[in-house]
Amino acid sequence: MAVIELSGLEVRLANRVVLDGLNGKLAGKAIGLLGPNGSGKSTLINTLLGFHAPSHGTAHVFDLDVRTHSREIRASIGYMPENDSFIGNISGIHFVRYMAELAGVPASNALERAHEAMFYVGLGEVRYRKISTYSLGMKQLVKLAQAIVHGARLLILDEPTNGLDPVARQRMIQLIREVRDAGDVTLLISSHLLRDVDETCDEVLILKKGHIAAICNLEEERRANRRFIELETVAAQEAFGVAIRQLGCECAFFPGERWKLVMPETVEIRDLYTIAAQQGVQIRKMNYRRDSLEDIFLTAMDSKLGVARVGV
Amino acid sequence: MSVFKRSYKRYTGPISNERFRLGVLMRYGAADLWSSRITNVVFVLCMIPSLISMTVIYIMNNDAVRLLLSSQGSSTPKIAMDERFFFVMLQGQCWPALILIAWIGPKLIAGDLSNDALPIILSHPISRVEYVVAKLLVLLGFLSAVTWIPTSMLFVFQSYLSKTPWAAEHIHIFIGMFIGSMLWIILLSLIALSVASWVKWRIVATGLLFATMFVPAGVGTVFNAVMRTKWGNLINIPDMMETLWIRLLQVNMPGYFMRNALPTTALLISLAAMCALCASALNARIRAREVVRG
Repeated sequence: MAVIELSGLEVRLANRVVLDGLNGKLAGKAIGLLGPNGSGKSTLINTLLGFHAPSHGTAHVFDLDVRTHSREIRASIGYMPENDSFIGNISGIHFVRYMAELAGVPASNALERAHEAMFYVGLGEVRYRKISTYSLGMKQLVKLAQAIVHGARLLILDEPTNGLDPVARQRMIQLIREVRDAGDVTLLISSHLLRDVDETCDEVLILKKGHIAAICNLEEERRANRRFIELETVAAQEAFGVAIRQLGCECAFFPGERWKLVMPETVEIRDLYTIAAQQGVQIRKMNYRRDSLEDIFLTAMDSKLGVARVGV
Repeated sequence: MSVFKRSYKRYTGPISNERFRLGVLMRYGAADLWSSRITNVVFVLCMIPSLISMTVIYIMNNDAVRLLLSSQGSSTPKIAMDERFFFVMLQGQCWPALILIAWIGPKLIAGDLSNDALPIILSHPISRVEYVVAKLLVLLGFLSAVTWIPTSMLFVFQSYLSKTPWAAEHIHIFIGMFIGSMLWIILLSLIALSVASWVKWRIVATGLLFATMFVPAGVGTVFNAVMRTKWGNLINIPDMMETLWIRLLQVNMPGYFMRNALPTTALLISLAAMCALCASALNARIRAREVVRG
């Protein structure tokens, strides 16, 4: 079942088309929403939440139409907005409890859940402090806590690492991964940071000027990329290439003794080392191709609108 | 998810009925207001007119007390328990309500707006209308407690103490006080919420609430004087409410007063227009996202 399905979705704000005829199905466990500023990422999120009404077409979340079932959709969503969004004059635990009850957690369970969520995100010691006294990183974490406290089926995280220092960012990424790996929640992560999306998502939707520039299953790409190997060697002869090809690899040689290989499923890295040892070749460097998301993103940005479909 | 384990586990427990979400907003709103000592002090002060009225009712209905007071040399004028008495009592309760709402109105909503909490609040199964209604109901609850509830209780008290059948003969007072109070507190609540939704700074919002009440009244009075008309009173909220209360309680007023008063229909249309204006201001402001202007 598709988590999010876009069917000719068009959203106009102040007579300006912000999202223009989006079509596509997103079924990943963690979906990245990428695009430059003004590409429509936040508008798409707001539309899914029912904050903006589609002017044409529609979108479905868990098969529920955003036009007619926004309330039911919101009941199954946990939302972490991009900007500051909290009640400053109450404590963190009070705020998370309040949001839990609004989401439907009974009052008798809400306080316990709020404590658990605050501890989980790492705010256990400061949970009785007023949110207005929190640092930026703590504010991001309390927003995450209120998003997960009620057991949402879909977590929408809008720029979750915004303004965080490297340590706090790493902590946030780690939390997102843990939530993702818990297995029963889907994430929609909007970010302009490719690295964040690359580290957390298995599917990506790239927007450009209100259009879909690409939809890509990163997990499949990664699986494919695991077979792409770049080698840098010393003292390799033509025979090295021949031996590798005999293993079943596709192989190309580049100046500077650099090799690019596509390995079949049956070949292991160990086989390459074996051949190298037999032929007295030193393997100085070995890389998997790691820049796939960046490649996809740049391809999508360079492509004409709406024509790039990677991995669909 | 246990505290000591610190690993994520999705909540799978019971979920409350969606009808109760409005109650959650109301409960947290009311609790926030009650947590302030100033709210408590203002609330108690708002009850003073009722206590005074209750004392007067008791004395006027108790010959022994009146005799005792007379014997001690103090004069105890006979105050009739009629429309005029309850009109004065209603005014005595309704104007302190303005002070109460000037404090609690902005407090109720400013916290949500000052740090832009609406996107998070409205991302839950709560509509904008429900949010506003919940806040309004909190204000109506507080204001009811200092307006029509004490006045109604005093009406019952007077009925109980009266030696002659009194309640049935004066039931129009009871109805008038209830309707008059409701008109007043609905108007006050809407004005307070709309002003607070546009002005994040609480002190300014409080000042603006008083200004909304009295500045148009001054302008209306000047308009009346310059134009030699009475229609300037259409923006004079204190005057309009006084006229409505007089008519609702069927108070006998001097002829010149009634000649200068505006028709009830005009007053109600003016109040409805003010309420609509406030609702429109709230509609523009209570949103999860700013409306982008082209």
